Parts: sequence; structure tokens; C-alpha cells
Amino acid sequence: MIAITKLLGLGAISSLLLGGCQVTELGGPLTDVSSAERAQFNAGRRVFQRAFTPESGLGPLFNSVSCVACHESPVPGGAGERTEIHVARLVGPQTCDPLFQQGGPVIQQNATPRLRAAGIEREQIPPGAAQARRSTPPLFGLGLVDAIPEAAILSREDPDDADGDGISGRANRAIDGRLGRFGRKAAVAELSDFNAGAFPLELGVTTPRSPVEETVNGKPLPPDVDPVSDPEISEEDLEATAAYVRLLAPPPLQIFTRAAEQAMVERGKGLFMTVKCAACHVPEMMTGPHASKALDRRPVALYSDLLLHDMGAALADICLGQAHAAEFRTEMLWGLRFRRQFLHDGRARTVTEAIEHHAGEAQGARDRFRALGEEDQKALLKFLESI
Amino acid sequence: MKLILMRLIPILWVAEVALAGLPVSVRADEADRLKSDLIGHCMGGREKCWKFQSPEQIKKLEIRQQTDDGARRVYVVALELRAAKGEGRYAAEARIEYVKSAGNWKIKQIGLLSLIKIE
Repeated sequence: MIAITKLLGLGAISSLLLGGCQVTELGGPLTDVSSAERAQFNAGRRVFQRAFTPESGLGPLFNSVSCVACHESPVPGGAGERTEIHVARLVGPQTCDPLFQQGGPVIQQNATPRLRAAGIEREQIPPGAAQARRSTPPLFGLGLVDAIPEAAILSREDPDDADGDGISGRANRAIDGRLGRFGRKAAVAELSDFNAGAFPLELGVTTPRSPVEETVNGKPLPPDVDPVSDPEISEEDLEATAAYVRLLAPPPLQIFTRAAEQAMVERGKGLFMTVKCAACHVPEMMTGPHASKALDRRPVALYSDLLLHDMGAALADICLGQAHAAEFRTEMLWGLRFRRQFLHDGRARTVTEAIEHHAGEAQGARDRFRALGEEDQKALLKFLESI
Repeated sequence: MKLILMRLIPILWVAEVALAGLPVSVRADEADRLKSDLIGHCMGGREKCWKFQSPEQIKKLEIRQQTDDGARRVYVVALELRAAKGEGRYAAEARIEYVKSAGNWKIKQIGLLSLIKIE
């Protein structure tokens, strides 16, 4: 049985039963999707892979030409090595301005030929704004994350560190006050909100929910640079894309064929707990009741508490919502072995390097990792390679 | 004649005030209805996404434009919004599209036209 799991290499299309745990292919749909959901998933995948042109709605300002151009590695829906620029400005001790009126928080880095002919190559960083680099996160399993009940997330808050463990997670809020869970600062409430915003902000494609083009740092576009009438994508395509992302299966577990390796993973799992990585990187949550069987009361091995934590001054960049510059939502660790860069801005090239950048509330865990012997560190990293 | 005019002027004045007030109150009723209809709907996306959760979030709603072709009704409205929890006040412009279905008007779509943080 263990040998069979080797088939879970990239692109292997299989749905296997391993000790009662169903495993899906990377980039494929969740198990138990209905035939209607599978059809929606496939329709959404086509939109996700569609390359937009200025004639089909791209731009005039944009970051990329398709969803898959960024979410590409190792399969569509995955992470990407491109980074983009986000901005915001702290306007009071507790007040963050996402600079909507100046083109924020996402600054588009590309322009269509017509806009370039009008002298605009990209958006500029607004004067006085703090800026941040953001790498492309993987989308696997996010429908499950979306279906975790709010109460399960809020129950882990400890804003004043009442239990004295040095960890004081707190929830962020979207601008309308809903609990945030998506984005590196957890400033977006629902997965459908994230998808709906990606079209105008990343591709410059207007939608029924955002039916006007983004401005150029708050200034209207020059005339005749946008040949396509708005909205540039239909509600059906938008919903299909949302379904595709919602139904993407989480990364499959890596089960090593050699007993020694698997034992190392087990030891690493124990160390992950004793070093207290799991205080923030919570191994598992459960989805609540859901209309879709595929998302209904399922375990979610996300390795995150979806809360904000202070990661120290060296990583601090922008505020967003109620998140301070140094606060980030605990990164989900599932599928770590499929990534080529780490942390919110991709600055770390290895997992060890990423751990070394942990400070603030995570300093204790980092120091305990450092204090481990070489073999124990390897075991912990092996465990991270397996999830 | 002078007496008739003197008696008529207050009556005309009252009538004018009443007539002038009628569209305002009708408009206010319509704005209240729009506020109520918006609940549960979303506009925009990602960091610029707003879900209308309660009428109390909508501090102001002013109808700027309205078109109606019998089957479709479109409003452009100016909004002042306040977050349900936490801080933040926003000025927004939105396009609200209704369609007639089985004799009733229902919101089909809300498009976010502009959004600014004002506090």
C-alpha cells in the first residue's frame, strides 16, 4: 500500500484509499464532489487558465494575463514565484488606510499597449505609503478553509496573552467588519470575495461586482485605452472560477516508502508539537455543516490558526485592516514541499531560512528549533515535507 | 379681490410645500427600501469587498440616478458605510440592478463603482 503512494508524484491522477483516508491528485477536485460540482470545477478551470488580451478585457492596468500565470507551480492552482506590490498607510495609532483612492492596496505593475502609448507604464507607489512585496500563495484546499466556522477561529484568540505562553493571536476584520481569514494579513472574509477581487485587481478584468476599471493611482484612465465594454467577464464565468477554487483539493500527504524515512516523519511530528510550532500552526480544524457534501464537516489539515501574530520588526511591512505592520496571519503549511520560496514576500529560499526569520511571538519556537540537534532538525523538516 | 388673494396665498403656500415634500418623502421611502434590499448582498472584491449585513451599516444612501424600462431598474447610489465591527467609515458609489421576476423586483447585481475610506 505504501508503495502505491509513490504514484502521488506531480501530475499523477489517482484517487487512492490509504488507511481509510482518501487521497486526491494535486490540482484536482475534492473527493465527494457531485457531478454538477465537477462540471463547474472543470468550467472554472478553463476560465482560470484563460489568457486575457486587451481585446478580451485585460487591463488597461494589470499584474498578469491569467490566473494560472501566477498560480502555476507545480500545477494550476499552485503557488508562484512572482511577487507584487501592496501599499497602505498608517494614519493614526490604530487606523490603517488601504489607499483605495490612490490605487491601493494592490499596485498594478503592467499596462496594455494603448495605456503605454498614453504614457502610463504602471501604477506608482503613492507618496508616503508603506509598501510590501507579496508572493503568490497556493490555492489548494481553500474551500475547506472557507468552510471552517468563525467560532472555531475566534475560540483560539488570545489578544492579551492571558495564558502567558507568549502567543497572542487575534482575528483581523474585513473593511465591512466580517472576520477575515484570506490574504497574508487575513483582511478578506470569504473565498468568493477573494476570487471576485482578483479579476479587477490582478488582471484588470471588470466583473459585475466591480464593473468599472481600476483608476491610475486614483486618476481616471485616459480616453480610448479600454476597448471592451464592462463588465468584461460574465457572472457565470466568475461563479465557475469561484467553484473551481472552492473545490480544489488540499495537497495530498507525502507518505515515504522507506520505513526509516516514515519514522523520521513521525519523530518530526512530535518535535513540531514540543517546539510549539503548533501553537500557531494548528494542525487541524473542521469545517462546519455545508451544503456541499465535499465540504461538509471535513477535517482541514491546514497547519494554521488563521489569526494574526506579531512576527517581529524585521518582517514588518504594511498595515491592513486591523493588522499592524508586523502582524501576519499564520501561514498554512500544507503542501510546503511544493513551494520554491517561503514567507509572505518570498524572501526565504528554504524552510529553514523561513524559520530563522521567525521573531516576535514566534521567537520562542524559532529558538527551540535552533536548540534542537541536527538530526532532530532534519526530522522536523522531514515532517514539514510530508504535510 | 385683495381679500380673496390674501386667503388664497396661505393655501397655495401649503399646497406647494406639500407637493415639494412629496417627492422627497417618496424618495426617502425608496432609499429605505433599497437599504433593506441590499442586506445579504456583496459588492466589489478582495480588500475592496463590502457585504451588507444590516441596515445600521448604511449611514446614508442617496439616489443619484435611476432608470427603469419596465423589466430592469438601475439605480446609482452614493453610500456612507460603517463597518459592523471594528473601525472604519467609507464613502462608496454603487450601481444596483433590479430585475422583475414573477411580478416582483429583485436585486440582480450590485456593482461597486468607487470606494474611499473617510475615517
